Amino acid sequence: MPILSALLWTPALGVLLLAAVSGHQTGLIRLISNLMALSAFLLACGILVGFDSADSRMQFSEFYPLNPKLGSAYALGVDGLSMPMLVLATLLSSIALLASFSITEAVKGYHICVLLLEFGMLGVFMAQDWALFYIFWEVTLIPLYFLIDRWGGKRRHAASLNFVLYTMGGSVFMLLSLLAISQYDLEHQGSLMASMGQAAQSMPEFEQVLVLLGFFLGFGVKMPIFPLHGWLPLAHVEAPSPISILLSGILLKMGAYGLLRSVVMLPVAAKVLQPVLVFLALFGMVYGGLLAWRQRDLKAMVAYSSLSHMGVVLLGIATLNHSGFSGAILQMLAHGLLAGTLFLLIGLLYERTHTRNLQDYSSLVNTMPRFAAFMTLTLLAAMGLPGSVGFIAELHTLIGGFQQWGGLMVFFSLSILISAAYAMRTIGMLFTGPVKPRMQSIADLKPIELLMSGVLVSSIVLLGLLPAPLIQLSAETVNRMLRVIAERLP
Amino acid sequence: MAAYWIVWVPLLPFLTGLLIGVLHFGQWLDGERHEKITARMSVWSMAVSTLLVLSYLIADLSGMQVDAQVYGSWLSNSRFSIDFSLQSSGFNLAVASVFALLLLIVMRFSVNYLHREAGFHRFFFMLNGFAAAMLLLVLSGNALFTFVGWEVAGVCSYGLIAYAYDRPVAAHNATRVFVTNRIGDGGFIVGIALALLWLDSADWHVINTSVTELDRGDATLLALCFSLAAFAKSAQIPFTPWLARAMEGPTPSSAIFYGGVMTHAGVFLVIQLQPLFTQTPVVMLLLALVGAITAIYSYWIGLSQTDIKSSQIFAASTQLGVMFLECGLGFWTLAFWHLCAHVVMRCYLLLTAPSILHVTHTQPIKPVPERWARCHSAFVVSLQRGWLEQALDWLVVKPVQRLSKDMCTIDQRIIDPLLGSPAPAIKAVASLAQREEQKMGANLHSDEDSFAQGSGLAGKLAQWSAALMSWFEYHFILRGLGKNSIQLGRQLGHAANRFEQLLLSPRYLVLFVIITLMVALGYAA
Repeated sequence: MPILSALLWTPALGVLLLAAVSGHQTGLIRLISNLMALSAFLLACGILVGFDSADSRMQFSEFYPLNPKLGSAYALGVDGLSMPMLVLATLLSSIALLASFSITEAVKGYHICVLLLEFGMLGVFMAQDWALFYIFWEVTLIPLYFLIDRWGGKRRHAASLNFVLYTMGGSVFMLLSLLAISQYDLEHQGSLMASMGQAAQSMPEFEQVLVLLGFFLGFGVKMPIFPLHGWLPLAHVEAPSPISILLSGILLKMGAYGLLRSVVMLPVAAKVLQPVLVFLALFGMVYGGLLAWRQRDLKAMVAYSSLSHMGVVLLGIATLNHSGFSGAILQMLAHGLLAGTLFLLIGLLYERTHTRNLQDYSSLVNTMPRFAAFMTLTLLAAMGLPGSVGFIAELHTLIGGFQQWGGLMVFFSLSILISAAYAMRTIGMLFTGPVKPRMQSIADLKPIELLMSGVLVSSIVLLGLLPAPLIQLSAETVNRMLRVIAERLP
Repeated sequence: MAAYWIVWVPLLPFLTGLLIGVLHFGQWLDGERHEKITARMSVWSMAVSTLLVLSYLIADLSGMQVDAQVYGSWLSNSRFSIDFSLQSSGFNLAVASVFALLLLIVMRFSVNYLHREAGFHRFFFMLNGFAAAMLLLVLSGNALFTFVGWEVAGVCSYGLIAYAYDRPVAAHNATRVFVTNRIGDGGFIVGIALALLWLDSADWHVINTSVTELDRGDATLLALCFSLAAFAKSAQIPFTPWLARAMEGPTPSSAIFYGGVMTHAGVFLVIQLQPLFTQTPVVMLLLALVGAITAIYSYWIGLSQTDIKSSQIFAASTQLGVMFLECGLGFWTLAFWHLCAHVVMRCYLLLTAPSILHVTHTQPIKPVPERWARCHSAFVVSLQRGWLEQALDWLVVKPVQRLSKDMCTIDQRIIDPLLGSPAPAIKAVASLAQREEQKMGANLHSDEDSFAQGSGLAGKLAQWSAALMSWFEYHFILRGLGKNSIQLGRQLGHAANRFEQLLLSPRYLVLFVIITLMVALGYAA
C-alpha cells in the first residue's frame, strides 16, 4: 500500500469533504478536520513504526513519472531527515486544529486553509523531486496568506503582504537555482532530486556557489537567517495563535530542511561559503536573543527567540560534520516542539486576558498553577536546560561547532546565556510579583487544553531524558549525507 | 510462586501514586467528591501489595523461596554493573511484610482522618510514594536502589511535614529536617562509592560476603559511612532534634514516618550489614555508645515533655537508641525482633494518641521520683533538650552562615558590578502601591528602554547592544526592507493604474483608433 500517498492525501481528502459541508455546521466542520488531522498523525506514527533506522536509503518510496521529457516525477520517500519532521508536522497540525476552537468566524474557510497548509507541508517533507518540492513549497504559501490576512490581528494586512513578498522573493531565487542546475545534463535515473544532485557536480565551482546562494536566499527567508527575517516578527505576532504554532513549529523547519538538502547537493560551494554561514548563524543567534530580551510582547519575544534558535540549526548545517548535522536535525525537532508549545500556551493565555504585554501580568501562579507548570517547563527547556530535548540538540551542535571552529563557540554560549536571561525574566514577570486585581479571576487550563500542552511538554521532557532512539533515527541518514559530501569534495 | 512478581510490591503503590498525581494535576481528581476514588485506589493497591508480600513471606517460611530476583542491569561498564534486583527471602522480606501491613493500616486510617482536608489528594500522592519508596528500600538487593528508596522517602517526608505549607513554621521545620537528613545521605553516597571502588559491586550480598577480603581500616571506613547514614535516618545523637521538628505533619503521617516505619530504616540498614559491622569492632563500639547515649538522652528529655506527641516521639527515639545498643553489643536477632515489635507498637500508640488522652485525662501523669524532681538543673537541661540543637547551630550552621555572608560581600562588591545582578531581585516592585506611585511619577525614558535594563558591566553592555540592534532592526529590516518594499510596490501600482486610466480615457481611445486607421491606410497604399 502506498502509505506515503495515503498520508499526503489525507488532509487533501479532508479539504474535499469540507467543501461539501455547509458553512453553518461548525461542529461537523471541526469534527471532520480534526479527524483528518488525527488520522494523518496516526498514519505518520505508523510510518515511524515501520521505518528502519538502520537503512539510510529512501524508504516507502513511490515513483510515477509525470513529465518524462523533463524527468520530473511524482516521487515520494522518507529518510532519517524527513521522518521526524513528518511526525512533528502531523502532531502540531493536529494540536493547532484542537487549539482552533477560539476561531468562530468563517470556520469553514479557516479549516480548509489549515488542511491545505498541512497538505503542502507534508508534501515538502516527502517530495523526492525538486519540481514536486517547489510546487508544494508554493502550495503552503497561499493558505497561509489567507490565514494571516483573514483571521489575524490588527496589522494583519501588512503582515500577510509582507510575508508573501518576502517568501515569493526568496522562492524566485530558488527557482533560478533549480533552473540553473537543470541546464546541465540530467541523467534520467531515479528521482529528480538524485539526478540533479549528480548534475550539479559537473558545474564549475563559481556557478555552484551562485546556485547555492540562490538556494540560501530561498530557504534562508523561510528559516529565517539573520538579515532575511523581516517578515518574521510581524507575521508571528499578527497570525492567530494556532497558525503561529504551525508557522514557527513547522514552516520554519521547511527552510532548514531544504537548506540541509541543498548543502548536501553542493558541498563544494558549501565549503566556500562556510565562513559566511557561521558568521550569520552566530550573529543571528546573539542578535535574535538580544532583541527577544527587549520585547514586551510575548509573541514577539518568542518570534525573535525563534530567530535565535534557528541560528543553531544553521550553525549545525554549516559545520558539515556528524555531530553538527545531527544537532541541526535535533534542533529542528526541538524548536518545533518548544516554539509550538510556547505559542500554544501564549495563545491560551491571550484568550483569557486579551493582552500580550509582559508587564500586564503578575503572580499568575496563584490563579493558574497548571499553566504555570507547563510554561515554566517549556521556557526552561527553551534555554536548553539538561533533561529537555533542547539541551540534547544544543549540545550536539556545540560539539560539532567546537570540532570545526573551536573557540568561536564562545558566541554560542553567549547566546545561550542571553536566552536564559529572557526566559527567566519571563517566568519571573508572569508568575511572581505583587498580586494584581486584574489577574485574579483567570481560569486555569481546561482538560482539552491540558491534554494538548501535556502531550507537547511531556514529549519535550521525555525526548530530553531518553534521546537515544531519536538520535538513532537520523544517525544513518547523517552518515550517508556525510559520505556523499566526502565523495563530492575534491 | 514465581519470584518475578515481587517487583509489584513496590511498583503498585508507585503507580497508584503516579496516577493520583497526574489526575490531581489535571483537576480530574479534585475536592471532596473525588476523595472516595483516591482512597479506594490507594487502599486497594496497598492491600494487593501487602497480600503479595505476605504470600511471599508464607512461602519463604515454609521453605519454598530462593534468593534475589534480578530484573536486569541499570548501568554497566567495564569494571562493574549495577543490577536492579529484589530480595524475596529472609530478613528483608520479613521487614517488608511488617512495613506493608502497617502502611496499609495507616492508609486506611488516613482515609477517615483526612476527610475534607484541603490537601487530601496531595497527602495520598505522597503517602503512596512513601510506601513505594519504603518497600523498595527494604526489598532492594542493591545499595543504589536502597538509596533511591531512602531518598524518595526523605522527599516524601519533606512534603508531608510541610503539609500545611502556608504556615512558615511547618515549611521551616520541613527544610531543617530535610537538610539534617542530607548529612546522613552524604555518608550513604560515600559508602556506595567506596563499595564500588573497593569491591566492584554495590550488591548488599557482595558487600557482606567479600568484606573479609578488605583491610581492617577500609572496612571500618565503609562501616562508618553506612552508620552515619543510619544515625541520621534513625535520629541518633547528634541528629536527634530533627525528630521533634518532624511532628508538624498530620498525625497518620507522623505515625508512619517518625514513630513507625521511616526512622527504623537506619536500624534496618545496620542489621542488613551485620557481617560488615561484625568485622569492625571499632564501629560496633561506636554503635553501642551512640545508641546508649541516645537512649539516655531521649529518656531524660522525655521526662519533661507535657504533650503526648512529643513524649511519644522521645520514647520512640529511646527505643531506637536501645536497638542500636543491641546491634553494637552483637544481639542482632534481638534487635531485629525489637525493631518489628516496636514498629507495630509505636504506630498503634501514635494513631491512638488522641484516644489515650481521652481515656486518661482525669489521671495525671506519674511524676518523676522525688529525688530527681529536686534536681533543678537537670530539669532545665531536659526542658532545653540538652541544648543539642543550639550546639549544632553554633558548630555547623553559624560558621556556614558567616562564610556565605563573606561570599555575599565579595559578590556584591566585585562580581555584581562586573557581571550585573539579577534585576528582579533589586528592582522588583514590592507592592501594588509602589507600582502605582512609579506609574504616576514622571517617567522620562521610553517604556521600551526601561523594560530591557541590565545592571553591572555585562548587563549594561547587553542593554546597549540590544538597543543598537533594535534600532538596526527597526530602521533597516522592518522599515527598510519590509515597509519600503510594500510602499515601492504601491507606488509602482499607482503609476501603472494611472497609465491604464489614461489609455482608457476617450480622447486617447480615439487617438488610437485614428493611428490604427492611418497605419492600415498606409499599408493599403
